[in-house]
Amino acid sequence: MHYQTESWGSYMPTRSANVGDPLERIERLASENAVVIFSMSTCCMCHAIKRLFCGMGVNPTVHELDEDPRGKDMERALMRLLGNSSAVPVVFIGGKLVGAMDRVMASHINGSLVPLLKEAGALWL
Amino acid sequence: MAFGFCNVLPFSSFLDENENGLRWSCMASHRVGPVGETGLSDSGPSNPHVPYSVFHGSNVPTSFINQEGSAFDFRELEEAIVLQGVKIRNDEAKAPLFTGRPAATLEMFPSWPMRFQTTPRGSSKSGGESTDSGSAVNTFSSKAEVQLESESPISNKASSSDHQAFDHQKHLQLQQQQIQQEMANDRSRAGPSQNQSDVKAPQEKRKGSGGSSSTSEKQLDAKTLRRLAQNREAARKSRLRKKAYVQQLESSRMKLTHIEQDLQRARAQGLFLGGCGGAGGNLSSGAAIFDMEYARWLEDDHRLMAELRTGLHAHLSDGDLRLIVEGYISHYDEIFRLKGVAAKSDVFHVITGLWMTPAERCFLWIGGFRPSDLIKMLIGQLEPLTEQQLVGIYRLQQSTQQAEEALSQGQEQLQQSLIETIAAAGPVIDGMQQMVVALGKLSNLEGFVRQADNLRQQTLHQLRHVLTIRQAARCFLVIGEYYGRLRALSSLWASRPRESLMSEDHNSCQTTATDHLQIVHQSAHNHFSTF
Repeated sequence: MHYQTESWGSYMPTRSANVGDPLERIERLASENAVVIFSMSTCCMCHAIKRLFCGMGVNPTVHELDEDPRGKDMERALMRLLGNSSAVPVVFIGGKLVGAMDRVMASHINGSLVPLLKEAGALWL
Repeated sequence: MAFGFCNVLPFSSFLDENENGLRWSCMASHRVGPVGETGLSDSGPSNPHVPYSVFHGSNVPTSFINQEGSAFDFRELEEAIVLQGVKIRNDEAKAPLFTGRPAATLEMFPSWPMRFQTTPRGSSKSGGESTDSGSAVNTFSSKAEVQLESESPISNKASSSDHQAFDHQKHLQLQQQQIQQEMANDRSRAGPSQNQSDVKAPQEKRKGSGGSSSTSEKQLDAKTLRRLAQNREAARKSRLRKKAYVQQLESSRMKLTHIEQDLQRARAQGLFLGGCGGAGGNLSSGAAIFDMEYARWLEDDHRLMAELRTGLHAHLSDGDLRLIVEGYISHYDEIFRLKGVAAKSDVFHVITGLWMTPAERCFLWIGGFRPSDLIKMLIGQLEPLTEQQLVGIYRLQQSTQQAEEALSQGQEQLQQSLIETIAAAGPVIDGMQQMVVALGKLSNLEGFVRQADNLRQQTLHQLRHVLTIRQAARCFLVIGEYYGRLRALSSLWASRPRESLMSEDHNSCQTTATDHLQIVHQSAHNHFSTF
């Protein structure tokens, strides 16, 4: 599992230049890796979902929204996307939205998660 | 229906016993005084905050309980408000338990004996209109105080209950305020109402009624109609709940008489009987409702299992058997749904498994059974299985184990975080903040219960997919029988002989295997007759 932090580097954001639809940013981040989890460092359900993937031998990319300057916007966007009162945890596999904890667990139990992971290249054998 | 809705602050229950052995239990987590409940939300069907005063007493007048009115109908209050001035039929006949038209929030008090119901009848008649909630509340509260003193199971708490009566009156009237504002009533109240303003209000209504009867029809627009329909639905559901509750109350009464008889016997023998089942103590309203619904679910379970059994033995066609199996799965879906509702209102009750028998509770995992345990139990019993099915079952076992592990670790992290928060609570001012933080963290428990139940539900559904219909039918029968035996084990354990405990000779303190065998034989026809 590796945590992604934005490197500000040469890009100096001005207030008005905080561009980027948060949803676009989410989709961009989601497509960067095979398994992407949006999480919050204090959320224990997020911890559970991380443990689930690690337990399966998957190496997910985790974005902690509470450590991201634009995290608040992304959190709101995720809430709207999921139609949920809770934005995290949310899992994308192969760039596609899988869902929150209940969807992920349901797909694991009914056997559809592992093929999805294999297809995305996150799991071998 | 008779249940009020309460969404007020937590409170400490009070429990007292008078010489008759009557016992008041008031629902924890809701401010319920002897005068009753507050805060009705008029939105529908499943508001989990339904407080009860559970009344355990061997001399509850049965005619009280058999009061079949459909009790208080909130929708009628609303219709009354809507159709201003339209005289609605007097509801006293239907709701003799209540003071005419109390605030929508003033609901059934099952713990009040017959005496109570006669006095409000008088006051409600004088109250006239079903919308005359204000004065009804006044008479009610004063009657209630009288009742309290004469009933006085809570003898030394009369003053506090007066307070509560008054507080409730305030709450009732605040809630009534909300309802009326919702109904776009132009009557407004200023803050905590006094008795006088309540008395004035119905007069205003009566005044307004003459002029507005022409507009009342116009007010029956689609939105109102829909709201009325919703309220009818809510009232119907409330009536059903009341019925179930009354049944449960009756059976609890029976149980209590038996327990008291046992107690008498034991006392005569100079023995202390500990542990009178789970019925004592305080139950929150959500917990009480859930326990009731669970009891009904267990009855349904018996019935459905009998259907499965006869279906299998009768060699029904696959199509017919499928219907029965799907019915059984829906039955489980239903309990998970009910647990979800209960977890919202009382997560501790669900997660600590208070609704289960003690033996089941031994195997408790986040508010229920452990799915991987279930698979382990089934593996030997589902043969013969095809190769593909075997693979499917083992995959299911593995995935449930992984999911359980993940949820357990998440819950552990929650606990660790809670420990740190609670331990860090320093002096009062900081302490309060830490407590607030801790409360926030506790709210995550509900999520874990939901996910655990989700896991259980998915496991059962997946079993259905891996197996053929006949295998699935047998599988669910096995599951049902397994848990039935586990529950029976609890009863057997509780009724095992205690004579050995009385013995002076400590060497004979252990009950032997033969003793256990005796218990089983003695109780076999009782406990296993249903199997």
